[in-house]
Amino acid sequence: MGRYVIRRLLQMIPVFAGATLLIFLMVNVMGDPVAGLCGERACDPATAARLKAEFGLDQPVWKQYLTYMGNVLTGDFGTAFNGQEVTELMGTAFPVTVRLTLVAILFEVVIGIALGVVTGLRRGRPADTGVLVATLVVISVPTFVTGLLLQLLLGVKWGWTDPSVSSEAAFGELVVPGLVLASVSLAYVTRLTRTSIAENRRSDYVRTAVAKGLPRRRVVTRHLLRNSLIPVVTFIGTDIGALMGGAIVTERIFNIHGVGYQLYQGILRQNTQTVVGFVTVLVLVFLVANLVVDLLYAVLDPRIRYA
Amino acid sequence: MLLDVRDLRVEFTTREGVAKAVNGVSYGVAAGETLAVLGESGSGKSVTAQAVMGILDTPPGRITGGEILFKGRDLLRLKEEERRSVRGAEMAMIFQDALSSLNPVLTVGDQLGEMFVVHRGMSKKDARAKAVELMDRVRIPAAAQRVDDYPHQFSGGMRQRIMIAMALALEPDLIIADEPTTALDVTVQAQVMDLLAELQREYAMGLILITHDLGVVADVADRIAVMYAGRIVETAPVHDLYKAPAHPYTRGLLDSIPRLDHKGRELYAIKGLPPSLTAVPPGCPFHPRCPMARDVCRTDVPPLHAVERGPASGPGRGSACHFWRDCLEGSARR
Repeated sequence: MGRYVIRRLLQMIPVFAGATLLIFLMVNVMGDPVAGLCGERACDPATAARLKAEFGLDQPVWKQYLTYMGNVLTGDFGTAFNGQEVTELMGTAFPVTVRLTLVAILFEVVIGIALGVVTGLRRGRPADTGVLVATLVVISVPTFVTGLLLQLLLGVKWGWTDPSVSSEAAFGELVVPGLVLASVSLAYVTRLTRTSIAENRRSDYVRTAVAKGLPRRRVVTRHLLRNSLIPVVTFIGTDIGALMGGAIVTERIFNIHGVGYQLYQGILRQNTQTVVGFVTVLVLVFLVANLVVDLLYAVLDPRIRYA
Repeated sequence: MLLDVRDLRVEFTTREGVAKAVNGVSYGVAAGETLAVLGESGSGKSVTAQAVMGILDTPPGRITGGEILFKGRDLLRLKEEERRSVRGAEMAMIFQDALSSLNPVLTVGDQLGEMFVVHRGMSKKDARAKAVELMDRVRIPAAAQRVDDYPHQFSGGMRQRIMIAMALALEPDLIIADEPTTALDVTVQAQVMDLLAELQREYAMGLILITHDLGVVADVADRIAVMYAGRIVETAPVHDLYKAPAHPYTRGLLDSIPRLDHKGRELYAIKGLPPSLTAVPPGCPFHPRCPMARDVCRTDVPPLHAVERGPASGPGRGSACHFWRDCLEGSARR
């Protein structure tokens, strides 16, 4: 187990280096990083050259990358062109997005799995068909539609919630945005659980559990559910990374100043340092989430042993 | 009589129509007795057992008639909750493939102990001790160390012993073993069968042994019921049946056992295939494959005749053949 974790951590190094290099190159292609520094007009050539020399932008790209990675490893993500430290931006943005993601995951786990179990046990009945159609609708409708619709109905028309989230972004305010963010994944979790439950329900060990005279509830929770959750856990785990980076639309709709919002602003203003820094951290989050999923796999299924 | 199944009927709704998987089956098991139920795949032997246990998948299955009297009570009239408390505690089942029948993500100790936790309200700690005791009972080496292992960490024979231990846990009055040795190596088969027979004697349980292995039957069974297309075609004390079968299907089965003294000769096989349960032939369901079939067999369903006279006849023998006398005498002459 320990050796497996170490090997996985070592494997992360080339993935991490490759991913960050790609981002770095892409952002460099995006345009002239100094262009945004002189206000509305273009910089005069002398100033531009001076700025480029100051930021090391006259160096070859590979050298810039190495310098940048060297700084990142010491915890220095650079300074955005407005003078704010990127780490400072992260310090305010990440906690917000983490809270939002937690709310979304909670919806996926509680509602998604519950609906999946109920429909999986009643395959072909009206409840099953109804939920199935509902998930199809949720999957097909883009997030910005569900988001704006809920904002309009709950926030503006009925006034149940605030239409936008304050800068503190407390958990209570994040319920509706969390639901919107989770919606598509929630539908997938429901379907995945449903299929898994329906498949395992006919398995021999469930028949054994019934033959042992166990109460139905115990058969479902202890014998059926645990086996059926293995694919669902994998999905939710990989979804953590996607939710954190993919909250751009949801964060825009509800005016949440999280990672998605900062990334959006960074790209809009050609703020290379911000974009590269945030994406680098997201890559790390994704890698770690994947590792945790694989380890959790072994906890759920004892037949899987890592050596 | 411990278990008395009377005229049991089970149907399955399939795309091809209604399949009569069990079509008026009656059999009984006394305490301490072993009944072997013999038949090909699809003969209804397992479905009958599942109906008795109450683990039939409904739908698509449906019990359309009959009674299952267990210790005098009709199980089919019990409420689900009462039925559940009978399952596992008073009657237990051993399945064919122990690897898929044990839960892969729970330790064997958990799965054995669960019986005591649920039915006897024991604490987890006591249940675990009971599990070790049971594993000792079925002679699993180093039981105390292996109680926290998972099913996949055991060999096939050991896994089947765990299944047996689980069935024995609450010392039920009846055990139904559905092809308990089919998935095992030949060498291990005998050990597992011996263990099962020994424990059955010790606890004086009734045992229903579902199998298609005639060799296993001869050693351990007291009585045999041969099933074909959802019906019992012959029932007899084991030695009488081996000596002189009173149904052509039984005779065909016995003739198709490979024998050492027949070396070099072609192996006998019953010609044709068992009928589809959605389209059972009219008359005697066996007539298209029967070497003795005559006109009456194509039109009239033979009832289970009492086999009273003739060689190897005795009380409790029955044959669902119009010509059971001819068959019995023909068998005795060979």
